[in-house]
Amino acid sequence: MIACLLIPGFELRAALRERPALALRPAALGPAAGEEPLLGPVTAAAEAAGVQPGMRLGEALSLCPDLALVEQDPATAEHEWEELLKRLEDSGFAVEAAAVGCVYFETRGIERLYGGLEPALKRALAAVGPAWEARIGAAERRFAALAAAHVARSGQALIVSDRPRDFIAPLPLTLLPIDPQRREELEELGVRRLGQLAGLPGAAVAERLGPDGRRAWSLARGEKRGKVRARKVANDLAETLEFPEAVANELTLRRALGSLLDRLLAQPERRDRAVRKLALSAKLVGGGSWRRTVTLRDATADRDRLRVAVGVKLAELPAPVTRLGLELVELAQTVGRQLELVQPEGLELRAHLSEGLKQVRAGAGSGAVCSVLEVAPWSRIPEQRALLVPRDD
Amino acid sequence: MTRRLNAPNPALVETHVDGSPRSVNRQQVALVREEWRVVDRWWTEEPVDRRYFDVVLASGENAVVFLDREAQSWFSQRA
Repeated sequence: MIACLLIPGFELRAALRERPALALRPAALGPAAGEEPLLGPVTAAAEAAGVQPGMRLGEALSLCPDLALVEQDPATAEHEWEELLKRLEDSGFAVEAAAVGCVYFETRGIERLYGGLEPALKRALAAVGPAWEARIGAAERRFAALAAAHVARSGQALIVSDRPRDFIAPLPLTLLPIDPQRREELEELGVRRLGQLAGLPGAAVAERLGPDGRRAWSLARGEKRGKVRARKVANDLAETLEFPEAVANELTLRRALGSLLDRLLAQPERRDRAVRKLALSAKLVGGGSWRRTVTLRDATADRDRLRVAVGVKLAELPAPVTRLGLELVELAQTVGRQLELVQPEGLELRAHLSEGLKQVRAGAGSGAVCSVLEVAPWSRIPEQRALLVPRDD
Repeated sequence: MTRRLNAPNPALVETHVDGSPRSVNRQQVALVREEWRVVDRWWTEEPVDRRYFDVVLASGENAVVFLDREAQSWFSQRA
């Protein structure tokens, strides 16, 4: 079975950890600077006052003048999310983080470990902790598991053991990963439930809504099982530097970055491996935070090259910072590079290709690199001839 | 996620009286180079009955479109 663990409004919960009193008052996650003035997740008190996530700021404030706007804190959210994933991994769950606040895992391997499906799911809830008010849905299909998690109450594990299509049929279209405009279009046509969408002819849906609509239709019919791709256990290589007072001077920040790099590269846990992906984060003076990731074209452990690659991101800092952090998100397996006298071939060429593919995967995400697998090259139907199979080797 | 190579995409096609394409995705068809039919799997619950057209658009671009005669919908595809 596939389980989906869901924490609604994770970013807001993470931002409120330093101000827990706000959790009981009408509060909402404010828009980021320069973005459209739309609200993020809201607290239960705000929802009771009629404020909804995605509402325009002006509309929300006229409905609830006491509404407190919480500044976005992506670095804290990222940190808390990473900690939570590590706690799940420590309990034996091989997790795939679909988004912040939503994680999938296969239950087959761990059922025997904890003596059944239900105890295993309870163990996952316990690993997350009650403060996050997580809920779990489990089903044979990935989408049905997500739907079950949406229906479950806080702290509940809801298992859909049979007829997942019947289970998801009465649920609203908001669960589908489609463009809101497409959803509105469907609702105007009188299609408001997943079951209604599943009942439509697939070709008609594809013609009206395009490939995304077709995919949504397929999900609503419970056709795609969807595979869980567990992430590789993350490296715990990170360093931070606290400043006694807020710093905006680029030279000081660059020196701080150099110092962080020195400390990170000296860590024995790195085992001389080259760095493929880094994340630079900062705590801003106003209380918010900032984070940028950098994927390198060639994995390297050269201090100067790393400093240049990450240093350019410092210019994007929106405000003075009180804390600067640097994290080695992904490391390569190679420990060094020998200059070549002759053209590489054979095994060496394959190693270069493999390294290049890893680089692409680190930049574009898992599933970005595929192999073409011929299954019926003689077929008269073009799409039956070959498959694109993701490569994770 | 495993997916099919050359999966058909929905296309907006206007036709002449004889059923051949006049425009594809709002681009005029300059020339129909070839036309063929694929009828297969008629013994299954998912029969395939397609009328393919290999066309040259007014912009000079080549395109292959087909009418799915089961669904009465047009799709583009690299045939």
